[in-house]
Amino acid sequence: MVLLYRYLGLALPQISSATNKRYFSLSSVCSYIQKMTRVRVVDNSTLGNTPYRRPPKCIHVYTKNGVGKVGDQILLAIKGEKKKALIVGCKFPGPRMTPRFDSNNVVLIEDNGNPVGTRIKVPVPSLLRKKKEFSKVLAIASNFL
Amino acid sequence: MAALSRKLWVLRCGRCRCLSLSVGQLSSKDGKSEQFKPPPKPIIIDELKQQATEKRFLSPEFIPPRQRANPFKFFLERKHMIQRRKIINIPEFYVGSILAVSATDPYYNGKCNTFVGLCIQRSGKGLGATFILRNVINGQGVEICYELYNPLIHEIKVLKLEKRLDDNLMYLRDALPEFSTVDVNMKPLSYVLYNEVPVNKMKVKMKPKPWSKRWEHPKYNIQGINFDEYLTEKDKERIKKWEMPWREFDMMLEYDTSKIEKEIQKEVNEELNKR
Amino acid sequence: MPGVGLLCRVGLRRLVPGGILGSIPGTAEAAEVGPRGRGLWLVTVRHIIYNTTWWDEHLSEENAEFLKKLSTEEHKAQIASKLCPLKDEPWPLHPWEPGSRRVGVIAVKLGMMPLWTKEGKKIPVTMLQVQDCHVLKYTPKEEFDGKSPALTVGGKNVSEFYRKPSVMEMYRELGLPPKQKISIFRVSPNAIIKPGTPLYAAHFRPGQHVDITAKTIGKGFQGVMKRWGFSGQPASHGQTKTHRRPGSISSSGVAKVFKGTKMPGKLGNFFRTVKGLKIWQVNVKHNILYVHGSVPGHQNCLVKVSDTILPVYQDALKNSPFPTFFADSEELPDELYDEELFQFTEPSITFSES
Repeated sequence: MVLLYRYLGLALPQISSATNKRYFSLSSVCSYIQKMTRVRVVDNSTLGNTPYRRPPKCIHVYTKNGVGKVGDQILLAIKGEKKKALIVGCKFPGPRMTPRFDSNNVVLIEDNGNPVGTRIKVPVPSLLRKKKEFSKVLAIASNFL
Repeated sequence: MAALSRKLWVLRCGRCRCLSLSVGQLSSKDGKSEQFKPPPKPIIIDELKQQATEKRFLSPEFIPPRQRANPFKFFLERKHMIQRRKIINIPEFYVGSILAVSATDPYYNGKCNTFVGLCIQRSGKGLGATFILRNVINGQGVEICYELYNPLIHEIKVLKLEKRLDDNLMYLRDALPEFSTVDVNMKPLSYVLYNEVPVNKMKVKMKPKPWSKRWEHPKYNIQGINFDEYLTEKDKERIKKWEMPWREFDMMLEYDTSKIEKEIQKEVNEELNKR
Repeated sequence: MPGVGLLCRVGLRRLVPGGILGSIPGTAEAAEVGPRGRGLWLVTVRHIIYNTTWWDEHLSEENAEFLKKLSTEEHKAQIASKLCPLKDEPWPLHPWEPGSRRVGVIAVKLGMMPLWTKEGKKIPVTMLQVQDCHVLKYTPKEEFDGKSPALTVGGKNVSEFYRKPSVMEMYRELGLPPKQKISIFRVSPNAIIKPGTPLYAAHFRPGQHVDITAKTIGKGFQGVMKRWGFSGQPASHGQTKTHRRPGSISSSGVAKVFKGTKMPGKLGNFFRTVKGLKIWQVNVKHNILYVHGSVPGHQNCLVKVSDTILPVYQDALKNSPFPTFFADSEELPDELYDEELFQFTEPSITFSES
């Protein structure tokens, strides 16, 4: 439903601003990923792509300080399930010369590190190559920046 | 005769600024005499043109910020910048131009990555100057902040040289994606530019509110959005309260750089021509 | 050369014939302020005492300009005469031994800028300029603290017109212009240098590490949150006038406030030392040190730079000139670079495929 609203709003900005006045932002804030951050799943897995009444949310970040950057693993609450995911893009600008994305992108992974989907639809930062353990995730990516 | 024609050619290049070769057009206009010969070698002309652009344009990071630092510090920094500029050609570009930047990827065996995008911001002074390129790839908005003097950068190519109505296009983040989409395989446009860089007077269509920032605030002073479509009467009344009409009379805010600019431009051009 | 300085003084008195007398009419006028003919008790006498004077008080503008010009010329001549200290009866030079400690320099902080390594990593560096730095005095071991000798070093020339005569006497004996900052360096007995020797940026070499002492930027009277990083109290939930306060400062058991308890007070404007900063680049021509990271103090402040005392970095010190760099002893290129540093005259970085 929310998605539908957004698309309507995108198509008809004038009408939307006049009739449907929202006072809260639906887009993710410009910061690193922490608990309760809404994220976008960018692989082609069925779990990540079937619409659900709640957006996928981060419920845990597997780092020492609880802040997730590109290349960190998080735990997602998605469709009433718990699922691990890998951050492949961040809205917060990281170091210079690395890409900054307009949404917080994640790829679903199994507990053993294998990706759930078979293809990643969007470009992925090459910063991920620094850590060696995600080679299987990188193998399904189509475009690097 | 040949000498005369060459002189004419120099004159023309003094007046107009050519980015790419457009020999045919120029020769047709210059054909005063019947025995006009086409200009001898295009390579020489290209150099002339480059010099012409260098003389006009001073990159904004050369102008020192307004502070109490010793001017000698900026002189030293400029020396490093000029050294780097002798190695790679950093062209003239503005916010709103389309650039292609190829840089070494330190994370992947040093392969060269090329990113094409619209320049939405130039910031920083001295060696730490940066610019941000934005593009939409596969429906995903991507921005990369490049450091102008980073040794990883191999080439900066201007694909389309133009200005926009604003000096900062950060509002494209809240605009419809087609306004920041640039073709990745774009070819550099070839056309003749006269004294002024063309200004693209396009008005951008925005996504519905809320935006990441209140772009209607007078402090941003944005001309590239037609706010009448997005604001209600109540909003407009509120914006009137934010206006600061005394700002233009504030003498403390004035920073006249024209004098410094001329000195620096002279110094930079002399150093660059030494090679 | 000191003779010129003396001439200056004499000239000053001659130029001002009525120097001291000039102030007397002023006081006489002040005494007449009270109304006359009323009675003695109503007469008020204002004592105007000119204790502090400025040096060009009784000089015409032209004369002041002339004196300024004269003094700068004198400074230049003095510095030029000190350029080759080895020529007139040098002190014996000793070789470096493990545990030797060299003298440091006084430098002006110019500002910060980025540099890059050959791996393409960005490094923030601070530029420090060594301006007219000279050794002023040698204090033997017995007179200092009985453990090691010390050298007094001064940096950055200043006007002599604002210095006390007692201070100027020392400089006149040395034949040097007065310095803005003076500091004492404890050195090992084999590293002593003759007073009057100029110190340069090439005293330090790229790759070695230094300690830097300077006065931090003064921030005035600050609360505990800014000064000590306390977390303060919540903004809401029934707080009354308690948001940035320290809270409890002691307990009822001890019934007193311990000394040294963290409380609000003046922050900044004290000396602070940062240790182990790497030198990336040295500009021999302009005497600039490019030091890794940030350095305490504001822009254009004077900092004290010395070899690091951290034991990890002691090995690199043996390659630096001992006891200091003499301008006439060694020919150096204009710029010295660290091995890992990217030089801007090189082509862009490419990595060989591995």
